[in-house]
Amino acid sequence: MEHYPSDDLIIWEFNFALTTFFEVETDLFHKYLPSTINPMEVSPGIGLVNLTAFNFPAGGLNGKLPEFQELIFSAIVSPDLSRGVPKFAMYVLSLGSNCQEHLIHSADYYKLPIHGMLTDTIVDPNSISIDYSDKDGKILNMNNCSPETNFRNEERYFQAFTSDGDNLTIADCYIEAPLFEHQLTNDAGSLNVHPFLKNIDFELADPLPYLQMISRPGEIGRQFYYRPSKF
Amino acid sequence: MADFFDKLIKEEPYTEYSLDMFSRSTGKDHAEIMQFNRWRDQVSNANKYTFEVPHLNAQTPEITVRRENGDEYNLISFASYNYLGYSYHPQVVESAKEALNKYGLGATGSPILNGTFQVHKELEDKITNFYGQKDYGVTLFSSGYGANLGTISAFVHKGDHVVLDRSSHASLIDGAVLSQGKISLFRHNDAEYLEKVLKRLDYKNSRILVCCEGVYSTDGDYGTLRDIIDISKKYGAAVLVDEAHSLLVAGEKGRGVCEEQGVLSEVDMIIATFSKSFGGVGGCLYAKKKITNYINYYARSRMFSCALDPGVAGGLIKSVELAGASDGNERRKRITENANYLRSKLANHVDIGTSSSWIIPIIYGDERLTLPLSDYLQKNGIDISLMTFPAVPKNKSRIRAFVTSEHTKEQLDIGAETILKAAKEYKFFKD
Repeated sequence: MEHYPSDDLIIWEFNFALTTFFEVETDLFHKYLPSTINPMEVSPGIGLVNLTAFNFPAGGLNGKLPEFQELIFSAIVSPDLSRGVPKFAMYVLSLGSNCQEHLIHSADYYKLPIHGMLTDTIVDPNSISIDYSDKDGKILNMNNCSPETNFRNEERYFQAFTSDGDNLTIADCYIEAPLFEHQLTNDAGSLNVHPFLKNIDFELADPLPYLQMISRPGEIGRQFYYRPSKF
Repeated sequence: MADFFDKLIKEEPYTEYSLDMFSRSTGKDHAEIMQFNRWRDQVSNANKYTFEVPHLNAQTPEITVRRENGDEYNLISFASYNYLGYSYHPQVVESAKEALNKYGLGATGSPILNGTFQVHKELEDKITNFYGQKDYGVTLFSSGYGANLGTISAFVHKGDHVVLDRSSHASLIDGAVLSQGKISLFRHNDAEYLEKVLKRLDYKNSRILVCCEGVYSTDGDYGTLRDIIDISKKYGAAVLVDEAHSLLVAGEKGRGVCEEQGVLSEVDMIIATFSKSFGGVGGCLYAKKKITNYINYYARSRMFSCALDPGVAGGLIKSVELAGASDGNERRKRITENANYLRSKLANHVDIGTSSSWIIPIIYGDERLTLPLSDYLQKNGIDISLMTFPAVPKNKSRIRAFVTSEHTKEQLDIGAETILKAAKEYKFFKD
C-alpha cells in the first residue's frame, strides 16, 4: 500500500522485532476488554494474547528520540473488516518503554495505555531473544523458538484498538520488514506474574506459543502507524 | 505460477490467510460478508474457485467435475472418504433402492416420534452384531456431526468437563460447546500432557469426558488410545473415541482402531460416521445399552432432526454386512496395500508428516499456494483435498490424499507423478 506523509501518519523505523502470540484461556483477559470488542479464539475458551518487543534506533519522531526498547501487551480481537482484512487486530492492554518521551507521545497521540518505564531491557539480536524488567521486577523473557528462519519481505496490515476514556479508538498499522513467521510450539520464553501483564498467572495457564513473527535482526523495518480514530 | 495468482498474492495480502479471517468482524455492518464476497468474486471471475465443484458421477476413483464456467475435467479422485467403495457398490445401491421403494424418500419426523422405521432398527441391530459385545446398543443420527454434537451435549452438563485432543474434529468441539461443560485441550496424542490437564481439574468431584479419534484426518496418524484410556481411567474420566475415519477400515474385522489397539471393551462411547467407509450419510453412537437408551432421548441433534433417510439406512445395512464378511477383509487388505504403495512413492520426495493410514498429507507449507496448487492439480488430472492455516499451523499447509481400496496401481502411479510434478513446480520437492 502507498503511504503518503501526513499529520496522521508516523513512520517508525526499527531494527529488531520479536512478537509471540500465546494461547491462554480467554477468561483470564476477557474482563480487560470493552464490551463491544470480542476476543478471537483458536478453540472455544482459548484466546490469544500477544507480546511484542521492538528495538527502535535513535532518530524516531523526527530525530527527537534516542535509541529505545518497547514492549506491548495486547489481546487479539475480532478485526473491523470494513477497513480491510488485517493479519490480526489487537486491543492494547499495556505499553512500556525505556524512553519517557516516547511514552508521553504514545499516550497523547495513540491513546495507548501506558504502564510505565522499563528499567532493564536486554535485546540479544544474535539469539533473537529479549529480557525485560521494570521497577516491579522481571516482566518476561522471550525468544525465537524456531531452529530455522525464512524471512519474507513484505507489508503486513494490523489494526490496533485502544480506549480513550469511554471511547473506543482504532488505528491502522502496517509493518514493512523482512519477517519470518512460524507456529512451532517449542519453549518461547516465560511470562511472570507482573502488573504489566495484569498479574495474570501465565505459568498456571500453561500458555502455548501460537505464532511468532520475527524481523531479521539488524535490518531496518518500517512501521506505518496511523493516528487512531474513534470507532 | 499463473499471472492471476501473482497479482492476487501481490495485491491482496489476505490470500495468505484462510477463510477464517472473513468469519467475523467488529462493528455493526457485517463487513465480513462484504469481504468474503469480494474475495470469492475475484477468484470465481478468474475461474479459480475450486471449492464446491459439482461431480457429474458417483464417487468412484475416476470422476468428472464441472467448474463454474462450465469447463469439465476428468480427474482421478484422491479427495473422497469413500474408503471401501461402498457408496457405489451394486449390492449397497440395490439394498438402498429396496428400502426406498418400501419406505419412500424421507422419514418425515423425529426418530423419537414418528420417524423410526423398521429399517432403522435393522441397522441398529446390524451394527450391534458387527461389534458383537453384550449389552451394547446403537443410537442413530442423521449426520456424523449430529452424532458428536448430540452425544457430547447430552452426556456432559454445565459444571462438567470435556477434555479434547487439540486435533479434534469440529463436531467434537461443537458438541463440547453445546454441552456448556468446561473445555480443556491436550496436545495431540500426548497422554502425559493429558494427565497434566486432568490433574488440574477437580477430577474427584466432577464428571470428565475425554474425547479423541481413531485416525486423525489432518495428519493421517492413529490415536494413541491405549495411553489415553489408561490416563483417563486413572482420573475417573469417561472416554469417547470418534472412529469417523477408521471404522470398517481399521482392525482385523473392521471394528476400527479400538479393535486394532485392543481397547474395544474399555472405551465408553464410540462414534461412527456413515458418510465415509460406509458410503452413505449419517452417524451413530455405539455404547452400553443403558447409555444409548438415554442418548436416544436427550441428544438434541437427534430429537430435533428428521430421522436418517430410510433408503440410506437400507444401503448402510448392506455396507455393514459386506464389511463384516470376506468382502470387507479383501477391501481392507487392498486399502492398506494401496496406502503403503502411494506412501512409498511419495515419502522420499515430499513431506508426508506422520501418516500411517490411508490418509496421506503432502505438506507444501506456504498457505499462499493453496488456491494455485488446487487449480494446478485439477488441471493436471487429480482431485485432492486441501487443508490450510488455521486448520493446520502456519507454513504447514497441505494437500491430503485419501486412498481407497478401489484405486488401481495405475491410478496411484498417476496420482504420485502429478503430485511430484506439482512439488517441483511449486518448490516443495525434497531433493
